[in-house]
Amino acid sequence: MLAEEPLPPDLLATAREVLLNELLPALPPGKALAVRMVANAIAIATRAAAEPAWEDDALARMAGGPCAFAAAIREGRFDPGTAGHAEAAALLDDITRARCTVSAPRALGKA
Amino acid sequence: MDEARRARLTAWLRAASGDAALAIEGMALLSGGAIQQNWALDVSGGRAWVLRTDNAATLAVSHGRAQEFALLRAAHAAGVTVPEPLFLCGDAGVTGAPFFVMRRVAGTAAAHRVVRSDTLGGGREACVRALGRELARIHAITPPRAALAFLGEPPADPCGAFVADQRAALDRQRTPRPALEWGLRHLERTAPPPVPPVLVHNDFRTGNIMLDDHGVTAVLDWEFSVWSDPHADLGWLCAKCWRFGNDAQEAGGIGPRAALYDGYGQVEDARVRWWELAAHVRWASIAVDQAERHISGVERNLELALTGHMVPGLEWEILRMVEARDAR
Repeated sequence: MLAEEPLPPDLLATAREVLLNELLPALPPGKALAVRMVANAIAIATRAAAEPAWEDDALARMAGGPCAFAAAIREGRFDPGTAGHAEAAALLDDITRARCTVSAPRALGKA
Repeated sequence: MDEARRARLTAWLRAASGDAALAIEGMALLSGGAIQQNWALDVSGGRAWVLRTDNAATLAVSHGRAQEFALLRAAHAAGVTVPEPLFLCGDAGVTGAPFFVMRRVAGTAAAHRVVRSDTLGGGREACVRALGRELARIHAITPPRAALAFLGEPPADPCGAFVADQRAALDRQRTPRPALEWGLRHLERTAPPPVPPVLVHNDFRTGNIMLDDHGVTAVLDWEFSVWSDPHADLGWLCAKCWRFGNDAQEAGGIGPRAALYDGYGQVEDARVRWWELAAHVRWASIAVDQAERHISGVERNLELALTGHMVPGLEWEILRMVEARDAR
């Protein structure tokens, strides 16, 4: 409400349209890869700016924090058949889904 | 490359080739290679060569040029389709970094083009069958080999060694990677029994294999080779993360898995599947390392930065593969 509009996600998306629709066709073919990488970076930043906060919830569910969680997995404390297996698997799914939503939505079957 | 370097290179090539009249008629930087630079050399007498040298920053896990040259020679002698290795220069004083020269080979390796083509490599089935034969020739190279001593002692248990190496790599990283740990723990729980190690190319995938309309013209990029389980190469090639979006063609996005296996000979499918999961973990770890080169300032580069953002997608695939394998 206090920030000036259009907000950053809109600005980024609009800049990306200009890049792909106006600049890319005007540039030599040798620059196409670089333009597509810039467009990809803008797309990641756009999705990150629009994503609701998720890290605090994930950390609250992770007893001892990420290092302890990773070490416990390595030690086999969340292997199939253990009491914490399903919960750990669900937590990993939630974290990874949130990370993919920003970085790699195609992995989730989203364009 | 500036004039002084080019003059030093000409003198060096004259001595190495025994041709005192040798002249470099053309020199152009070829595309590709985050780690190496490849220069196309047009040399007098109609000779078409490639000079391969290091980029500014190199990955700690990759071999140097002298080692890659030795691997190329071993592969060439074993009948693997590789560019013929010609000369090695370990003296950084000539061009600024060690380099080697090999014969230039025609064809394309561009992954997105390769997976879209129904004709490259002689057609999809013929191509992956030929790739199977190439792998079988590579895997006929077995330890010990004096010229490949730099590869170190062959592991008694290649699968166990893989898990240990990947954990050591994770321990070197700045942040914990619980999803990769999840994959590694599954690999540890389900590791198949040891097999005698052979030479594994370790980056045998679409993008590193040069093709023309008739077949395979070159297996490239030998810098990650190790003594390991031969199924590691089959798993790396078949891993979904290396199909470049053409998931239905399970052998590298190029052709059917059955034709690859058929060309290879005897394949233990369950072992290949283990290495496919392993491939996702290893590629994720390499991607983290590449992004780290950007983040740390060693090499500020947009491609490296974006590679880091491939990690979550690889982690998602690892979680799905582990879930499916545990449900069997």
